[in-house]
Amino acid sequence: MRLKNMAIIIGVSYGIMAILPIFVGDIRFIMNILIMCLIWAVVASCWDVMMGFAGIFSFGQVAFFVMGAYCSGILAIEHHVTPVLSILMAGLFTAGMGVLVGLPCLKLAGPYVALVTFGVHMALQPTLRGEIGIALGSGGSVGLLTIPPINIFGYAFSSANIVPTFYLTLLVSLTCALIIMFAIKSYWGVAFLALKDSQDFAMSLGVSAFKYKLMVFALTSFLTGIIGAFYGHFYGVLSFRMLDMDLFSILMVMMLVGGLGHFPGAILGAFLVVAGSEFMAPLGAYRAVAMGALVVILVLALPNGVMGLFLKRSVNKIG
Amino acid sequence: MFSEDTILLFYEITDVIIAGLSTGSVYALMAVGMTLVYGVTKAFNFAYGDFFNMGGYFAWILIFGLGLQFGGYLTVLLIVMPLMFVVGYGLEKLLIAPLRKRDDWENKVMMLTLGLALFLTSLYSVVFGVRMKSLPPILEGTLEVGQLVFSYQDILIFVMSLGGILIFGWMLNNTRLGMAVQAVAQNPVGAKIVGIPQERIFAATFAISTVMVGFGGILLSQKWFINPNSGGTIMIKAWVVTAFGGMGSIRGGLYAAFIIGMVEAFVGWIFGMSYGIIALFILLLATLVLRPQGLMGKGD
Repeated sequence: MRLKNMAIIIGVSYGIMAILPIFVGDIRFIMNILIMCLIWAVVASCWDVMMGFAGIFSFGQVAFFVMGAYCSGILAIEHHVTPVLSILMAGLFTAGMGVLVGLPCLKLAGPYVALVTFGVHMALQPTLRGEIGIALGSGGSVGLLTIPPINIFGYAFSSANIVPTFYLTLLVSLTCALIIMFAIKSYWGVAFLALKDSQDFAMSLGVSAFKYKLMVFALTSFLTGIIGAFYGHFYGVLSFRMLDMDLFSILMVMMLVGGLGHFPGAILGAFLVVAGSEFMAPLGAYRAVAMGALVVILVLALPNGVMGLFLKRSVNKIG
Repeated sequence: MFSEDTILLFYEITDVIIAGLSTGSVYALMAVGMTLVYGVTKAFNFAYGDFFNMGGYFAWILIFGLGLQFGGYLTVLLIVMPLMFVVGYGLEKLLIAPLRKRDDWENKVMMLTLGLALFLTSLYSVVFGVRMKSLPPILEGTLEVGQLVFSYQDILIFVMSLGGILIFGWMLNNTRLGMAVQAVAQNPVGAKIVGIPQERIFAATFAISTVMVGFGGILLSQKWFINPNSGGTIMIKAWVVTAFGGMGSIRGGLYAAFIIGMVEAFVGWIFGMSYGIIALFILLLATLVLRPQGLMGKGD
């Protein structure tokens, strides 16, 4: 997709988001949902860059999100770091972890990468719950309960004044989306795609698989860590239960609804799925069942997601 | 000769070794099923662990839900094994076969089976509740050799899973179906030319692996419990065993399964059960870095 079209889709979707608080600004429940939309949009986009553009089959995105959230929370509670600084430190920490996880993945074939990254996800929960986590200050099975809100020049962005917090989230989320957009359209993004399509050929043309694959890991885990830390400070409460399969599956649905490898799609997917999921709330426990079934159906029936519908229409117009 | 403490420690270690052997034998069963399905069809099944639980739940329904009276586990196996085969065959035909025509179908299969895993996990929690279910032991009683105590259950699990693997190995080398499976694994195009129905073999392979992991589920759920959320962990364990042993090598899988069963038993005994998965993960990473093709894999 061309840069112009990407920018238009991002601009329109974030523009609509920015107008919404005028109508629903005083309904806290809806504002919470909108903030969640913005946060998940970044995580889903990062995952999409990893899987759809770089072709690295990573299932560790939720783990990076939780790592970022915990890292910033622990820094703020245990070491009294001011939240903005701790968010940046959490981003750097997660980027480091991303490179660390990425290193063994460089030499491996698809399913092995999926396994290693999924293994990070599975091993994180006992780590946070067990003695190692408690020693680091993760709060064990209770979790972190008293994470201070983000505080800029004495102004606290907490859920008490939700509209300014919403716009701060919008700003962070939009920045992340723009970073992803420019990364995809830059020389890097072309290198990612080349490596995905034919690694041997790309390497023979002098594209370093080592460098660019590590870069993907670093970039996506950095952004995921930042937004995870942001989430932690917004909610104020963290628990290892985020590593349960619910969040994982809902993010996957977002990516699939948006279309894998069609970048702004994941953002649209996140907005659509969070809204749809709220409509599915009456289903209760069956919602998770429906989400799982939805993944299966989407993979089978709608391989390019919502963006696929867009693309098909534009092709028809030309042809 | 030895002090009282040393002898106690010796008995304790023997217990741990027995536990390691009996879980190791079931891991071997699961790893062989996984090697088979990945080696032949190149489809990676993320819902593997949930089929393990499916076997356990089917047995639970038969024993407690329907109040099965006669025959005990023999009847259970006779009913559940064909049922697992039908489920596996049907799911392959319905979900995975249509994907094969797409260009990046291997990735699509991973996403689809992950979706299936999420679906099954949450379905189990909704239908059976999040509380763990237990199955009665297949045989009560213990065998006492001097001071050592072996439970019949452990011995029978060990014997039955090894028996299952041997039967499977015999089938692979001596029946028409087994030879057709090997042919497709070696050269899909060649197999097609000589008239082997490839699609049917893919589905049958998937179904056989489902049966094997379901069998493992029935055996091991008596010792652990049936936990609706454990599918992911079990899948990872089976995959670690497969990767550690070497992809496509049945003998490597066997050795790896026992080594990993032991590692898990000893780590659980020394540090506590929740460290088992961390230990496995470290072992996996070390394998992939030092010897990516696994213990006995051919490497590509």
